[in-house]
Amino acid sequence: MSAPSLLWRGAALVLLLLFITAPQLFAFAFEPLTVNGAPAIYNQGSLLSLTLSHLRIVFLATLASTILALGLGIFVTRPSGREFLPLSRSLVNIGQTFPPVAVLAIAVPLVGFGEKPTFIALFLYGLLPIFENTLTGLMEVSPQTLDAAKGMGMNPRQRLFQVELPLALPVILAGIRLSVIISLGTATIGSTVAAKGLGEVIIAGLQSNNVAFVLQGGLVVALLAVLIHDGLGMAERRVSAKLGRAADEVS
Amino acid sequence: MIEIEHLSKRYAETIVVDDVSLRMDEGTITVVVGTSGAGKSTLLRMINRLVEPSEGRVLIDGQDTMAIPEDQLRHRIGYVIQGYGLFPHRNVAENIATVPRLLGWDKRQIAARVDELLDLFQLDPAEFANKFPHELSGGQQQRVGVARALAAKPAVLLMDEPFGALDPVIRSKAQDDLVAIQRRLGTTVVLVTHDMNEAFQLGDRIAVMDQARLLQYATPAELLTRPAEAFVEQLVGTAERPFRLLSLLKVREAIEPGPAEGEPVSVTDTLRDALSRLIWTGREALPVADASGALVGRVSVKGIVAHGRSAP
Ligand SMILES: Nc1ncnc2c1ncn2[C@@H]1O[C@H](COP(=O)(O)OP(=O)(O)O)[C@@H](O)[C@H]1O
Ligand SMILES: [Mg+2]
Repeated sequence: MSAPSLLWRGAALVLLLLFITAPQLFAFAFEPLTVNGAPAIYNQGSLLSLTLSHLRIVFLATLASTILALGLGIFVTRPSGREFLPLSRSLVNIGQTFPPVAVLAIAVPLVGFGEKPTFIALFLYGLLPIFENTLTGLMEVSPQTLDAAKGMGMNPRQRLFQVELPLALPVILAGIRLSVIISLGTATIGSTVAAKGLGEVIIAGLQSNNVAFVLQGGLVVALLAVLIHDGLGMAERRVSAKLGRAADEVS
Repeated sequence: MIEIEHLSKRYAETIVVDDVSLRMDEGTITVVVGTSGAGKSTLLRMINRLVEPSEGRVLIDGQDTMAIPEDQLRHRIGYVIQGYGLFPHRNVAENIATVPRLLGWDKRQIAARVDELLDLFQLDPAEFANKFPHELSGGQQQRVGVARALAAKPAVLLMDEPFGALDPVIRSKAQDDLVAIQRRLGTTVVLVTHDMNEAFQLGDRIAVMDQARLLQYATPAELLTRPAEAFVEQLVGTAERPFRLLSLLKVREAIEPGPAEGEPVSVTDTLRDALSRLIWTGREALPVADASGALVGRVSVKGIVAHGRSAP
């Protein structure tokens, strides 16, 4: 990554940290957006704790999606699981075509308000990119490489862990990154069912007609997305450079 | 020693290898040659059980390969394929260390073996050990592929078109290197190719396959002078026969007594090379020198030509 772009990322990180820890410092920038002396900075809770809750649920949901999608992707590319490939593909795709709001609406009566329905929605939404990329990554491993691995006496387990997964890793990481980014945005709707997160700031802004609040919630989510996207992208480039592939081949 | 007994492979209705029997002696190079689709790779892959035979069996040093767990069998048999299949995520040293690591050798032993092999294949360890496959030329990748196959000192080395991806100059050097290394280590090599020149250059014995069948299994000279079928004769190339025959024989075998003028040829040169020198220099005969440089007789155009005829 070039020096100026690194500088931009650094500046974005500092801005984000400063804003969520001491938002009052930025009141001057948001005041012009308020009317009738409404507060310029969100005052119904700590931005820091909302950000942490937001990240926590995104992290947990992505972790769960990764475990299931990766496991499923590995299973359906083994000889014993190959017949389930079409079925698992359509199931995961259905998960994706269901709107998140509908998932919430169905989940709330079943598991109640709070983090649980949000977790379910994020989890379902995170599956597809990771699953598809796991399949792509594993199926792209050259048959020659696999033939050589088998010919040298690697058993199926050794082939998976020593050859297939390391070679598929950049593509799998790209899937995880996509999934995290989708979840960061989607998690804001969790606040409609009382999950703690940055959606609260946006909703509070919409309810009180306060554009400054809406903008603050959106800004923090956007900065998080940019920074996490970059961080994971850097990890992918590291892995794929070692494989002698151009990074753009991966994403 | 590898004994192949009545080996067949069938995929549904099609027969890909049809009742092939062969014996490959220890420390020799056997080349399996034939046109594409003849069943060569399938035959080779039945030796290390990458393909399960439909019928017949393979014995290595008298032991039925079916009696050995397949991974263990493959640890003991080197395997090189066209394109080499090097692991892109592992550097040269790690690639070469693959089988020793699977076998659980200790670290120091592995490192020593890797260095030894890099030296053997003329790759400077300091320069190459940490390079990744994509940073190597085709010829270097090929050498790493063979080094990797030899890492755990297998008695048997299987090679499927190992030179197919190399350009002609590098290929010829790689072929010479293979023979030199094979002679030094005493490995039993089975090599598959569709290139008749390669078969003649490398094979102690040549197995000719066509349409799943083994047509002939013989020494290069026998293949030339007594082809079993019209197809073998055609594959060997009628116009090439005398020259192929001459390149199989050494000057040693055509020495005549008496002196001759000119730069001497060596007893270990092939008759083909000697004839080429005779034609080029316009002489009827040249002196012959032994390894120490002492003159031991002469070799003549007439004498060489007599060795290029079908029946002695
Ligand atoms: N797994 C397989 N299933 C069906 N047919 C196969 C399979 N493997 C090889 N064949 C067929 O067997 C024949 C011989 O293949 P192969 O041994 O690779 O030939 P060669 O190495 O001499 O070119 C070919 O016609 C090929 O299509
Ligand atoms: Mg083949």
